[in-house]
Amino acid sequence: MIGLNRRTFLKGVGASGATCALASLLPGSLAALENKQLKGMGKDITSICEMCSTRCPISARVIEGKNVFISGNKAAKAFGGKVCARGGAGHSLLYDPQRIVKPLKRVGERGEGKWAEISWDEAYRLIADNLNKIKKEHGPEAVAFSSKSGSQEKHLFHLATAFGSPNTFTHASTCPGGYEIAAKAIFGTKVKRDLSNSKYIINFGHNLYEGINMSETRGMMAAQMDKGAKLVVFEPRFSIVADKADEWYAIRPGTDVAVALALCHVLIEDNLYNKAFVERYVEGFEAFAAEVKAYTPEWAETISDVPAKDIRRIAHEYAAKAPHAVVDFGHRATFTTEEFEMRRALYAANVLIGNLECKGGIYIGQKPADYNKLAGEDVAPVLGKPGIKDMPKPQAKRIDQVEEQYAMMWTSGGVYQTILDATLSAVPYQLHGWVMSRTNPMQTLTDRARVVETLKKLDFVAVCDVYISETAAYADVILPESTYLERDEEIADKSGKNPAYYVRQRVVETLGDTKPSWQIFKDIGVAMGLGEFYPWENMETLQMLQVNRDTDLLRRIKDEGFVSFGKPLMLRDAKMVADFTKAYPSARPMDDDGTYASVLSFKTPSGKIELSSAKVEAMAPGRGVIKFREVTLKKADELYFIQGKVAVHTNGATHNVPMLASLMSDNAVWVHPVTAGKLGIRNGDPIQLTSSVGTEEGHALVTPGIRQDTVFAYMGFGSKNKELVRATGKGIHCGNLLPHVTAPVCGMTVHTTGVTLAKR
Amino acid sequence: MNNTWGGMAQYDPVTWHWVIAVYLFMAGLSAGSLLIGISLRWANNELSTGAESGILKAAAIIGPVAISLGLACLVFDLTKPFHFWLILIHYNFQSVMAIGVLALLAYSPLAFAYAVLVLRDDLPKWGLGFLTPVAKLLMPFRKLIEVLLFVLAIGVGAYTGFLISAMNAYPMLNTAVLPALFLVSGLSAGAAANALLALVMFKTDSHDKTLVKMHGLELPVMAIEILLLFMLFCALYFKGGAAAAALASLSSGLWASVFWVGVIGIGFGIPLLFMLLPAATRHTKGAMIMVACASLTGVLALRHFIVYAGQSYLS
Amino acid sequence: MNKRYVMVHDENKCIGCQACNVACRSENGVPEGVTRLQVRVEGPFGEMPNLHFKYHRVSCQQCEDAPCVKVCPTGAAYVGEDGIISIHTDKCVGCMYCVAACPYKVRFMNPETKAADKCNFCKDTRLARGEEPACVTVCPTDALVFGDANDPHSEVAIMLNTKITYQDKTHLGTKPRVYRVPTKRGGIGL
Repeated sequence: MIGLNRRTFLKGVGASGATCALASLLPGSLAALENKQLKGMGKDITSICEMCSTRCPISARVIEGKNVFISGNKAAKAFGGKVCARGGAGHSLLYDPQRIVKPLKRVGERGEGKWAEISWDEAYRLIADNLNKIKKEHGPEAVAFSSKSGSQEKHLFHLATAFGSPNTFTHASTCPGGYEIAAKAIFGTKVKRDLSNSKYIINFGHNLYEGINMSETRGMMAAQMDKGAKLVVFEPRFSIVADKADEWYAIRPGTDVAVALALCHVLIEDNLYNKAFVERYVEGFEAFAAEVKAYTPEWAETISDVPAKDIRRIAHEYAAKAPHAVVDFGHRATFTTEEFEMRRALYAANVLIGNLECKGGIYIGQKPADYNKLAGEDVAPVLGKPGIKDMPKPQAKRIDQVEEQYAMMWTSGGVYQTILDATLSAVPYQLHGWVMSRTNPMQTLTDRARVVETLKKLDFVAVCDVYISETAAYADVILPESTYLERDEEIADKSGKNPAYYVRQRVVETLGDTKPSWQIFKDIGVAMGLGEFYPWENMETLQMLQVNRDTDLLRRIKDEGFVSFGKPLMLRDAKMVADFTKAYPSARPMDDDGTYASVLSFKTPSGKIELSSAKVEAMAPGRGVIKFREVTLKKADELYFIQGKVAVHTNGATHNVPMLASLMSDNAVWVHPVTAGKLGIRNGDPIQLTSSVGTEEGHALVTPGIRQDTVFAYMGFGSKNKELVRATGKGIHCGNLLPHVTAPVCGMTVHTTGVTLAKR
Repeated sequence: MNNTWGGMAQYDPVTWHWVIAVYLFMAGLSAGSLLIGISLRWANNELSTGAESGILKAAAIIGPVAISLGLACLVFDLTKPFHFWLILIHYNFQSVMAIGVLALLAYSPLAFAYAVLVLRDDLPKWGLGFLTPVAKLLMPFRKLIEVLLFVLAIGVGAYTGFLISAMNAYPMLNTAVLPALFLVSGLSAGAAANALLALVMFKTDSHDKTLVKMHGLELPVMAIEILLLFMLFCALYFKGGAAAAALASLSSGLWASVFWVGVIGIGFGIPLLFMLLPAATRHTKGAMIMVACASLTGVLALRHFIVYAGQSYLS
Repeated sequence: MNKRYVMVHDENKCIGCQACNVACRSENGVPEGVTRLQVRVEGPFGEMPNLHFKYHRVSCQQCEDAPCVKVCPTGAAYVGEDGIISIHTDKCVGCMYCVAACPYKVRFMNPETKAADKCNFCKDTRLARGEEPACVTVCPTDALVFGDANDPHSEVAIMLNTKITYQDKTHLGTKPRVYRVPTKRGGIGL
C-alpha cells in the first residue's frame, strides 16, 4: 500500500485560496476533514472510469504517494489504453475539497443551502421513516426512484422494487433513449456501429470528437485518417467532427429526418439498395418505399438547405461502398419531436444497403451465451445473475404508463420527465417522494423552473451524489457516495464483436465518511425493514455469485481489468466466420455463402427487421410507417437554440471538478457574425437569451462556425446553486431555456427551441 | 471555438514589468552619470587642482546609488530573491546576463570606491568621516580607478541594451541599435541627474563652467538619441513581417501615448523648447532643474516603452 | 549514436480534447493556474463552408538551439545528455530571462518551486521508467508520436520521412523538435 498525504495532494491540485476558503464553509465537504492519511491500493489498479457514462476501462497508478495518474487499460484493445481529459481528471474529483464526505440534512428551506452533518444511521432512519410514511399513506408507487445508469441503477432499482414502487427512471429519455427505442422498433434490440472498419460514414451531428466515446472516437479517427474513409457531416454548427469531415453541410436545425429520408429515396429510386438483403430480412419495405417516394432530394433541399445534387451524390457514393458504409444513428440530442422518425430514418438508410453484421456497418454484437452456442463450446464464461427468487412485482402502474405510445420506453429507463407531471399535476397519480442517485435533472431535464417546483412540492427528496449538485441542493437528505476510485462494483459485460467482461475496483482507500451505492441502498433497504431482499453480504459476495464461485476467473478479471474472450465475429462477414469456425471445431457449420447469415434473427413481432411496424402503429396510430411531419421549433423572429457536448465536461456532472473547471468553466454562446452584427453584438459582449420558459445571461462568441439562424451553447454550464462553487453563475444554463416537450413514441425531452438574442 | 484548454495568463508575452524597466533606467543612469562626470573632468583638465566640481560630485553619488537601487529592483523581482547569490556562483558565459553580472560585480564596488574618493572632503559633513582614510588609501590609484570605471560604465550602459536585445523572440528588442540607444539615453539621463544634484545638493552656480559645458553636450546627445530611435523604427519597418507589425505600438495602445507624450513630448520637446528661450531665462536654476526633470522623465518613459511595447510583439 | 527525441503532432488526428493537458498535469504535478501543455483550437478560419480549425499544441518545442539555455545566467536551463532541454530547479534564481526569451512562450514560473518550468517530455517521470510521455500515452486519437528520430526504424523517423511536417517559428533558427503534421484543410495536403 502506498501512503498518500491528502494535504500535500491538495497543495498539488492547487485548490486556490479563495475556493478553499469557500469550500471550508461547506459542511460535510472534504475540506472540512483534517490530516487524514490516505492509502492507495497498489501500483497499477485496473478499473472502470465514471467521469462519463461511456465507462472506459482504465488503469490508475498512485504517483509519489500524492497523486493518481489515470490512463486507459491497454488490455481493452478498442480503447487503445487511452483516456480523455475527463477520465484523466478523475483524481481531481477524488481530492476535491468541495466534495461531500458526510451525510447532510437540510436545515433551512429546500434549496436555501443550509445543511447539518448527520450520521449515516440518522440519514438512513430519516429516509426509512419518510419513505415508509409515504408508503403507508399513499402506497409505495408514490415514490419515484431515478439513477445514473450503471451499478447505482441496479441497486437503487432493486431497492425500489423491494419497496414496491414501479417508478424507476434512468436518464434515457434525456439522452440515449431516442436511438435505443428506434432500434428496438426496427431490430428488436440495440445495435452498434463498426465505425473503425467503415469506408463511408454519414454523420448527422454525432459529435464523437467532443462527446468522446473512446472506442468509437478512436475507431472513426482510424477509419478516416489511417484507412481513408470518407466522412460526411450534417450539422448546423462547425463542430470538431464537422472540421474533420470531408464534407460538411450546415443543415437547418431539426431537418435531419428530411435529408435521411431523401437518402433513402435515392437509394430506392436509383436501385442502389440491397434487394437480396431486404427480401430476406426486412418487413414493411413496400410501405416504406411508397412513403419515401415523395421525399426527393429536391424536396429535402427546400427544408434542410442541403443541396439536392449533394444528397443524390452522397447517396450514390454511400451505396458504392456498401456494405462497408454506415449512417451513424447518433447519440444524445433530441433535435425535434420527430426524434423517433429521424432515428428510424437513419437506421433505414443502413438497412437499405444491407450493412447489418458486416464490417464497417452496424451489428448486434455477441453476448457470451449466444457466442458459446455458435462456437459449440464454452469460450466465454456466462456470469451468474444474483437475484432474489420470487421478488414481488410492484402492483401499481408506472407514472409514464398513461399513454400506450411510450410502451417501449417503460422498460428502457422510462419517460423521466413524467416525474414532474405526476408531482405537479397528479397525472396519473400524485407522487410524494423522490430518491435519486447520481442524476442531475436540474441540468438534464428541460424547463428548470418546473424541476424546482417539483422538488419543492414533494414531501421528501433524498439524493445520493458526490457533490451538492444543483439537484442535491433541493434535497432533504444528501448521501455522499464514494467516488468510483474508491468503489468496488459488480463485473460488467462489455461484449462487442466478442464477449468481454470488466470490473470496477477501488484505487485508493475511501476518503471521509462516504459509501458505495450498493452499500447505501442495501443499508436503506435494511433500515426500511426490507432485509429479506438482501441475502448477500457485500460486493465480494456479489462478485462470487456472478462468477459462480470460480475464483480463478474473478482473480483474472480483477488482475487484467478487462478480459475479452474468443475472436471477433460479425455474422455476415465471411472472413470472420471462417476464422471462427477454424478456431472452434464444434462451431456451427457456416452457411453456403460462408457466413452465419442464417443465424440472424430479430426480436420484433415479425422476427424480421421492421422498416414499417404494425406494433408501432398500434402503439401510436399513424406512426407505423416512417414519415416526415413538419415541426415548428421556433417563431419566425427567433433563433434556433441548440446545444452539444464539449470534450472536457460531461453533461451536468463535472463542472465543479477542479481540473476540468480550470480548463473550461463558461460556455460563451456561438453567434454568426451577421446575426451579431444586426444586433450590435461583438465578440465577448454580454448577451441574453430568452425562450418561452426562461432567460439566461452569458457572453457571445462571434464565429462563422454557426448558421445565421442558430445560436449554440455547450450544455451543463450555468449552475444556480451556491454549493457548486466553481460552476455557479458561469454561462448559459441550457435546461432553463428548453421548454417541457415530450417526443412521441420514444418519450424524449426535446433539445431545440426558439430564443431571442439581445445584447445586455 | 470556446476556450477549453484553460488559463492563458501565463502566456502573456510581457514577462518583464516596470521593475525591470526601472532597473534598466537606473543602470543606464548610473553609467551615464559617471561617464559624463569623468569625461568632463578629463576635458576640463581638473586633474591636479584638488577641488572636485559639483558635477563630478553629483556623478560620484549618482553612480553607486543608482546602480544599487537598480540592483535592488532586480533582486526583488526574482522569484527567489533570497537565492540571488546563486547567480554569483554559477555562470553561463553564453548568457548576456551572466556577463552583465560580472561587469556589475566589478563596476559597483568601483563606483563606491570612486565616490569615497571624490567626496573625501564632504564625508565628515555626512558623518562618514571614518571613510576618509579609505579615500586617502585610494587616492594614488585614482587614475586607474577612473579609467576602469569609465570602461565598465560604457559596458554597463550598453549591457542593459544587450540584455534585452539578446532575445530574438521580440523583433523590437532584437535589434543592433538597442545597446547604443540605451547607452546614449543613459548619458542623457546621467547629464540631467548630474545637473539636478549639482544644482540642488552642491549649490553649484547655474553658470558654472562644467555645468555649462555639460549643458552643451545635451543637444548632440539628444540628436544621436533621436537618430537611433529613427534607425530602430526604420529597421523594423523595412524588416517587415512581425517586426513591422510591432510598429503598431507607435500608433495604438497605452504605450503609444507613453512614447509620444513621455519620450518625445517631455523627454525631447521640453528641453528643446527651453533651448529656444533667451539665454538669461534658460540658464536660471529653475529652468535647468525643469529641463533635467523632463529629460529624466523622458528616459524613464523610453525604458518603459521599450520594455512593454518591445515584449508585446512576438516574432 | 546520440538520441534525438522528437514529438510529432498530427493536426489531422488531433481533436483538441485536452486529454494530453490533463495527463501532463497529473503525471508531473503541474500546479493549478500554470500549464506545460495546451492544445488550442484556433479559428475557424476560412469562408463558409470551407472552414477549418487549427489544432495548436503549445508546449516546449525542445529547440536544438534553445534561446532559453543561451540566456540563462546560471546554467539552470541546460541541455541534458539525452538532448532534452531541462531545468536544474535548485540553480534557478527566477530572473525570468528564459521565460522572456522563449519565442514560443511556453516557459513559466512554477508557483510552488519558484523556478522556471516547462515540458521536458516527462523526462523525470515517465521517460525515466521507460514509458512514453503522458500526453502520448493518453492521446485518444493517436495524434501524438514520440521517439528517437536518430533511429531510422522508429515510428517518428518513418513519419518524418513520409509525412509533410512543419515546425513553429523556424525562422528564428531554434530548430524545434516538435513537428506538426498540417491539416488537410488549411494545410498542405498529401
